[in-house]
Amino acid sequence: MSNKIFFLLVVILFPIYGQQIDIHSPKNIKKFADFLFCDKDYLRAIDEYKKYLQVVEDDTANYKIALGYSLINDQSNALQEFSSINNSSALYEQSRIEVLKSLSLSKSDSAFYLLANNLINSKSQFSNNAQRLLNTSILLNENELPDKNKFLIPFESDDKLLLGNYYDLKINPPYKSETVAGILSAIIPGSGKIYTEDYGDGITAFLLTGLFTYLAYTNFENDHQTRGWIFIALGAGFYTGNVYGSVASAQIFNAKVNFNFENGLKLFLEDKNYFTPAYDFCK
Amino acid sequence: MIINKFILVLISLFIQLSISVYSQTDWVRWEKSDPTYQKKDTHLNRDFDLSIQSVSDVIVKPLINAYWFFVSDVDGANCPFHPSCSSFLVQSIKETNPFKGTLMFFDRFTRDTNVFGRLEHYPRYGTNHFYDPISLYTLDKEKIKIIPTNTFINE
Amino acid sequence: MIFVNKKILVIILVAITNLHSQTLKDQFSYANELFNEGKYFDAITEFKRLQFFDSENQFSFQSNILIGKSYKAGAKFDDAIKYFTLAEISSRNDEEYFNSNILKARTNILRRTNHQAERILNELLVDTKFKSKENEIKYWLGWNLIFLDEWKKASKIFLENNLDTTLSNLCISVDDKMYSVNFAKYSSYVIPGFGQFYTGEYVSGLLSLSWNVFAGYLTVNSFIEDRVFDGIITANFLWMRFYSGNTQNAEKFALQKNLEISNKALNYLQFQFKGEKP
Repeated sequence: MSNKIFFLLVVILFPIYGQQIDIHSPKNIKKFADFLFCDKDYLRAIDEYKKYLQVVEDDTANYKIALGYSLINDQSNALQEFSSINNSSALYEQSRIEVLKSLSLSKSDSAFYLLANNLINSKSQFSNNAQRLLNTSILLNENELPDKNKFLIPFESDDKLLLGNYYDLKINPPYKSETVAGILSAIIPGSGKIYTEDYGDGITAFLLTGLFTYLAYTNFENDHQTRGWIFIALGAGFYTGNVYGSVASAQIFNAKVNFNFENGLKLFLEDKNYFTPAYDFCK
Repeated sequence: MIINKFILVLISLFIQLSISVYSQTDWVRWEKSDPTYQKKDTHLNRDFDLSIQSVSDVIVKPLINAYWFFVSDVDGANCPFHPSCSSFLVQSIKETNPFKGTLMFFDRFTRDTNVFGRLEHYPRYGTNHFYDPISLYTLDKEKIKIIPTNTFINE
Repeated sequence: MIFVNKKILVIILVAITNLHSQTLKDQFSYANELFNEGKYFDAITEFKRLQFFDSENQFSFQSNILIGKSYKAGAKFDDAIKYFTLAEISSRNDEEYFNSNILKARTNILRRTNHQAERILNELLVDTKFKSKENEIKYWLGWNLIFLDEWKKASKIFLENNLDTTLSNLCISVDDKMYSVNFAKYSSYVIPGFGQFYTGEYVSGLLSLSWNVFAGYLTVNSFIEDRVFDGIITANFLWMRFYSGNTQNAEKFALQKNLEISNKALNYLQFQFKGEKP
């Protein structure tokens, strides 16, 4: 009797154990896919999850495929995959905020604003995340900003100071005036470039213009007319070139202000992972 | 013996970690590849060009090519920038007009004379040049593209 | 009864272990097939799958080596070297240790991190366990020297014990054709333009010589006529400029011509040479 029970157990358990040994079984494909995902080998993980989904319905796998595409910066595929997640799924809310991140990265402005407002108004679990991302995007892309205190409400206290500074920079950028730079250099050669913080170039321009003026003067004094005129022409060239260069220098200075502003904000967003919640698949 | 094994395990763990951090190789599907054994010539070569594409080319191109052939190619690579000052003049005249191009050239020459602070001011080009394109100086704000100073450009 | 049950249990356990082992062997064959078909990206996936399920690390060495070879075939040299190092760590005998190191050295040669390749090969050379593999190690040392542009030294290595006479002859012919960069440069210090003539750039050499003679004449003349300031300016902005330009050009032309010669040889080696390549 006990023998019979034993054999029965073996007959039942053997196929189950057999399935565990089959490394191409759906369960093992998923295990391997999870490992690849946590190993940051996202493209391979995506392929494995797709194989798994041919046999099993699992919205966590769907989500991970979409997240994987987003992490390898293939936003169009990420958006497609996120849209396949059912609104009855537990990961639906989370997927919406990830879609918002993808829309921001793929610079689809109108779709981004629409979804952001949707999430904020629907008072979803992640509406504050959406508000933070929306406000930061407005700071990056728009010229009209809301009131500063209202703008800073959704952010954590650590970030309020940083973003407050960026807000002030946006309202009052430390630009240099092109006209002022040009006029300064017209009065004193090189001073326009010193105004635009190109100190070395400003001093060099002053010295070169001065040198050729002096050479022109001494040559005229010593009755070397040809040489005098050559040096006058060169001096005039450096003088007008410097006025031109000072205006260009002001433009470049302002472009650098814009570049540093945008770059700084983009680094901030990357550091915050675009205010998406951290996933715990790999803990 | 035990210590050796322990060290080997540590190395193995470190490599595994560095592989996972560097997995970016496989974020795009790749195929078999056989890159050339040949080495690249890092010397910058002159772009002689006598084609006439505008009125100013009739005067400027022969003069510049003659300068390059008889003088510039013989007195060594003296310009720390890319494009070189003479190329800068040609390109700026082509892009704007002779008057504006000349002003841009005088300004470039001033910057060339200033030997201080280049590392903090310009991105790097190739092994020992600095990148200073004309697009920054045409007074057209749309064309200005800021490149951080610690960037290496290898076109 | 209990004894019979235990016997049956043992048989079943052994059967299950064998089944698992067979599954892994099948997976290895499958991955190997993909590798042999040149589907390297997929081969790596399957080898990684094998490693994930191979809890006893039976296939650790083979899978690491083949993953490394796949990355090497795709020119992903950094990843290849990492996996060859893992293979070295999981090697079970001297043969496996040797093979993983040779592959690491070959990948370093292709990646042009030649000093690392040299270090690995020299370590193998001094190791008495690999005395019988000396020829193979020297063969790759020769290739490493080719990639380091040291054709004469490479030729000597290939000539030892007639290791590879084709390669030896090729290397010596390349070395013979090459110009001496130092000779070009220093001869131009003595006679401006000489280095350019030596490398066949006659026009440039003539221009250099002319400018240096002209600038030299102007400078000396200025000093003779007691125009010291003019003399200094001419010497600095004219003569020095063309003199340094002359030596710069002499060196540049020698380097460029040598690069052309070595690139031609490297092209032949990559696409027409029938022997083993890195």
